[in-house]
Amino acid sequence: MQSIIERIEKEIAAWTPEAGSAETGIVRATGDGIAEIDGLSKAAMSEMVLFDATFDRTLAEALKDPHPIYGLVLNLEEDGVRAVVLGDAAKVYEGMLVRRLGRLLSIPVGESLIGRVVSPLGEPVDGKGPTGAKGMKPIEREAYGVIDRASVNVPLHTGVKAVDAMIPIGRGQRELIIGDRGTGKTSIAIDTIINQKSEPAATRPICIYVAIGQKESKTAKLVAELASRGAMEYTIVVTAPASAPAALQFLAPFAGATIGEYFMEQGKDALVIYDDLSKQAVAYRQMSLLLRRPPGREAYPGDIFYLHSRLLERAAKLSKEKGGGSLTALPIIETQEGDVSAYIPTNVISITDGQIYLEANLFNKGQRPAINVGISVSRVGSSAQTKAMKKVAGKIKLELAQFRELEAFMQFSSDLDVETKRRIDAGRRMTEILNQGRGVPLPFEMEAALIFAATNGYFDSFAPEQVGAIEVKLQDYLSREAGGVLMAIRESKDIREESEKTLREKLETFVARHTTTTA
Amino acid sequence: MIDEYTRVLEAAAELDDTSAADAVIAKLILHLKGAGRMKLLPQIVRRLKKVAARRVALRGHVEVAHEKESAAALRAAAAAGIVATHAHVNPDLIQGWRARSGDRLIDHSAKRALLHIYQQVTH
Repeated sequence: MQSIIERIEKEIAAWTPEAGSAETGIVRATGDGIAEIDGLSKAAMSEMVLFDATFDRTLAEALKDPHPIYGLVLNLEEDGVRAVVLGDAAKVYEGMLVRRLGRLLSIPVGESLIGRVVSPLGEPVDGKGPTGAKGMKPIEREAYGVIDRASVNVPLHTGVKAVDAMIPIGRGQRELIIGDRGTGKTSIAIDTIINQKSEPAATRPICIYVAIGQKESKTAKLVAELASRGAMEYTIVVTAPASAPAALQFLAPFAGATIGEYFMEQGKDALVIYDDLSKQAVAYRQMSLLLRRPPGREAYPGDIFYLHSRLLERAAKLSKEKGGGSLTALPIIETQEGDVSAYIPTNVISITDGQIYLEANLFNKGQRPAINVGISVSRVGSSAQTKAMKKVAGKIKLELAQFRELEAFMQFSSDLDVETKRRIDAGRRMTEILNQGRGVPLPFEMEAALIFAATNGYFDSFAPEQVGAIEVKLQDYLSREAGGVLMAIRESKDIREESEKTLREKLETFVARHTTTTA
Repeated sequence: MIDEYTRVLEAAAELDDTSAADAVIAKLILHLKGAGRMKLLPQIVRRLKKVAARRVALRGHVEVAHEKESAAALRAAAAAGIVATHAHVNPDLIQGWRARSGDRLIDHSAKRALLHIYQQVTH
């Protein structure tokens, strides 16, 4: 008690009347989370303002509701400004005093955010108390320039065989995950986060999952899954649920990028997943229309491309001089009826360094992940792929694409020559091998060993429909019997002659044992 | 279109010469009649009322906690560039005064100081 009294007395003694000067405006009209404000003639774009509910209340009333309501200036007009309300818009009323804060919208960042679930303003929403993050960073900033960047050359393993083999992702890359609803987009992203557990702690990326406009139950389930798999130890979740104001849904990806940049600037690797940018675009459209900005194609505002390009351009691999950190971005876009030529999908496809396209047809056929290999691509990831994976997965993509063509052709012809039949069977086997359930990401050395076995014909003695079960047994066998080889592949990131020899011996033993069993 | 008409009338209101202002209004009404847009007049009036209300809200305004502080508060506010003819008594300020004009707010009240202390202690 004494310390509190002393502190208050100290504050009273330090009070100087000069400190009470401020630039203010008055709310002219408010509605739908937007406030029209008179005054604030010197306010800057993206500046924060405070809706001051204490101004025309008694001291007792003001102390009852101490939570400040912030706003973000988004339109500068002739006789005032328009701002979006970042909080309970119902508490903003006509005639309310608004104060300029003189700073751009910033959020707290720091190591202490790891393992936490926060709002786009950096406030904790997981009931675990204050985050303790002290540093403040503006959520909008210019991306790093050419000189500050290095080329993408370190792989980011997703643990998904099909992705790591055919559409490799590098640290600092922007790889879009696109597909209809319910095709497994989030699953790939979550598996990627879970798979980072198998990375050495020193090089393990800090993962930031940004949930935009999602059901809170889905986010809660996802956080529980990450926690149960031990992935929250290196993960931060930023959530702007469907019930949050459009302004927060619009800001959430920028908050995620800001947190990721903090770690990148510390020389660490960070991975940020924006799930999903379609909902962010819809939230931005809503805000823009309410701000009376002119609508363009599909009623999106003219700067919708810039919204996504400035966000995704913040993903980078920094040069050694800048610490060598990286920020990898995995944006997710939801398509309608597989239409990738819609406005937002084409925009984001053109901005990113490649896309993983998930198809509902493949999903319904039972392929997991339902990746359409033909139109999925990684433009920079191959230079970051490990030698081991390059060696084993070199031709898979082409062979699978050929298989898909032959498979389509097969529907019209029952009389197939031997070579075509062999190719089709090989394609079926490969599809089975690349099939992978949700939540079971594989370490990269296991992926390399399995694909090595597939591309070197070790599954050829099994019927395509048996391959799935045999592959599970092979994983188990390799973990037990070939630990040394797997470790050697992991450490050298290559399948060297010696490792290859041992691996072949192990595979031959396995095949011999199982061919006898299944025969 | 209403915005333009409102701006014309706002400019007319600024004129010192009332007969010139009357002439502007008469010409505008004539123009509206000629253009068949007389139905816009009530909307223009509503808009002008809003503008007037906004100007009143942004006009120099001084509040004091106690009547006895009025003279000193008006002097101090004028020295800071906020001119008002009289000070309103607002006991919620507890002590001191505050003045507002346009974008500027100068707050010398005990209420603000106490809130500031509260925020410093609790945040």
